[in-house]
Amino acid sequence: MTQKDKALLTIGGNRREVLTGLALGAVAVGTGAAGILGGGVLTGSKGRAYAADKAYKMAFIQFQPHTVSTAWAKGIKEVLDIQPGITFQLLDGQAKADVQISLMDTVINDGVNVIFVQPVDSVGIAPSIKKAARAGIPVITLNIDSTAEHAAHVEMNHYYGAIEIAKAMGKMLGGKGNVAILNAPPGIIIRDQRTNGFVDGMKKNYPDIQIVADQVADWDRKKAQDVLTTILTANPDLNGVYGVNDSMALGAMDVAKSKGLKLVIFGNDGEKDALEAIEAGDLAGTQYTDVFQQGRFAAAAATVLATGGVPATAFTAQGHLLMPYVIATKDTVGSIQAYQRW
Amino acid sequence: MKIWTRLPNRELVLFFLVTVAIFSFFSGSFRTTGNLENILVGFSHMGILAVGQAFPILLGGIDLSVGSILAVAGMIGFDAFLIYSLPGQIVVPLMLVAATLAGAVNGLLIVHARLQPFIATLATMAAYRGVTYAISGRQIFPDLATKSIDDDFLLSFDNYIGHFPYAFFLLILVAVVAQLVLSFTKFGRDLYTVGGNLEAARLSGIKVGRAIIISYAISGFCAGLSALVLVSRMTTSQENLGIGIELSAIAAAIIGGVSLQGGIGNVIGPVIGAFLMGVILIGLNLVGITTYAQPVLTGTILLGAVYYDRVLVLRRARPAEAGL
Repeated sequence: MTQKDKALLTIGGNRREVLTGLALGAVAVGTGAAGILGGGVLTGSKGRAYAADKAYKMAFIQFQPHTVSTAWAKGIKEVLDIQPGITFQLLDGQAKADVQISLMDTVINDGVNVIFVQPVDSVGIAPSIKKAARAGIPVITLNIDSTAEHAAHVEMNHYYGAIEIAKAMGKMLGGKGNVAILNAPPGIIIRDQRTNGFVDGMKKNYPDIQIVADQVADWDRKKAQDVLTTILTANPDLNGVYGVNDSMALGAMDVAKSKGLKLVIFGNDGEKDALEAIEAGDLAGTQYTDVFQQGRFAAAAATVLATGGVPATAFTAQGHLLMPYVIATKDTVGSIQAYQRW
Repeated sequence: MKIWTRLPNRELVLFFLVTVAIFSFFSGSFRTTGNLENILVGFSHMGILAVGQAFPILLGGIDLSVGSILAVAGMIGFDAFLIYSLPGQIVVPLMLVAATLAGAVNGLLIVHARLQPFIATLATMAAYRGVTYAISGRQIFPDLATKSIDDDFLLSFDNYIGHFPYAFFLLILVAVVAQLVLSFTKFGRDLYTVGGNLEAARLSGIKVGRAIIISYAISGFCAGLSALVLVSRMTTSQENLGIGIELSAIAAAIIGGVSLQGGIGNVIGPVIGAFLMGVILIGLNLVGITTYAQPVLTGTILLGAVYYDRVLVLRRARPAEAGL
């Protein structure tokens, strides 16, 4: 191929690329112009013609997909679907604080009226909650509190429930023995509440019971199995295990069954699987909360705030709502109805 | 005109504008200054990571450990602020130095232990993540985990000039310096040579080993900068910070035209690539596409970019094969 032919090839190639680029550019400019001229310039107006039917938007930014947050979303939707004009969006935080922050920014900019959030990090989400408060948007946290003040925190009664769990476990152990705690990842206030409640409850009611281990098992059943196996190597005379959520308690149950050990295992949350394990006698008990109801209560509060036009700035203090609970053991688990199980 | 025809990014810029136009059309909230601010705040650190990632990829390598380096830097910052109560003027340089050294270790493994870049950075990705957990102040003192860092020097990185966050200006600074290094210094030209043909570069007297170590150190440094941005915004750090972010940084670099074969690319492309991904992710949320469909779409765009990169590689090979 001669130099001239090679040059022509490249020029021809460039011309083709330039033409493609021009065509794409024309489409871009055309669509962009249509978009900008079609409705509202860079001011954030939504160009709604009617004031008659007010529309409200709400979003729930969950920690990550899990039985608890799915059940909350179901409860929230049950209430919000009945209300005229309220739309609801479920968003996934992917267990990452920076993802949740980005999602918060997005929904704040989208003009939502209320934000539900289950923080991945109680401290990390605080700047975003303050940003929402400045925009007047009430924020409702579910189960996991934040260090920034917000409209309402709706929780499963972590501290007092954990005290009750300690009392129930202490009674089953006969007041003596060694227990281990399978704990949540650090950085969330729920961890402090559930751990301190258990520790305080044991110290006050059964001071002879020793807490010999407190390890992180990341809310996960599989991880809990590995962690408990390690703990058992160091403490072969373990008598009881407190899993700070049901998944971890069920992991402990798996280990106990496979090794043929008699352990008094308590969980926390009240999942369907845990209740079945209690009925089968494999799990000693758990703190059961009707999570659907928790979602409904949160949605009810949100609806009243949104339709009543109450901005975040109207709150003078941090709101709280504690959910009623049942310490479900073999005796009490029968009282929990099928439609309440999640 | 010559620069215009030589820039490999014009199709990317047009694709970016088309995407922005489409989302602006379908969502009123997208075409607001608030949204512009959100995209800049949320993805400037991704742009910094992508610029850093461009250096290893230009050499024909890759850096999978940037997420873990980010986490180590973040946790060092957390420990220094909350356990040792050091002032920000000491902690911030400490974080950056640690991140750069971590990147340099990658380079040393590749040059002296003769490991493949993929393997070396995969190993350090796991190792540095382990280090993050091991040094984590949040595991040692759980009550620190719910305490926020309130050092003024650190928090000053989270300020704004109008609608533009400081992180964006940091990104611009990093990108400009990086591009100047690539275009106008001997080191930059050496990088392209090494990436284009390693043996030829070695034979022509270029210190290949030194170039490799410096490139991976740069990638680590950018990870440290990203950690700074994230920690100042969150006033805390997590052990799982940055998990998976290396894939996004690599995607942004590839979408930005930095070729996986090495020796081709600049840093403007990765910056645009990072913001393109931000526009798509935020745009999809505002348009109402379910959260679970978003990774699929991001993956499809990455596939498209890699395929286009492959097409360009073949097209570049054609005149050479035609025989002269």
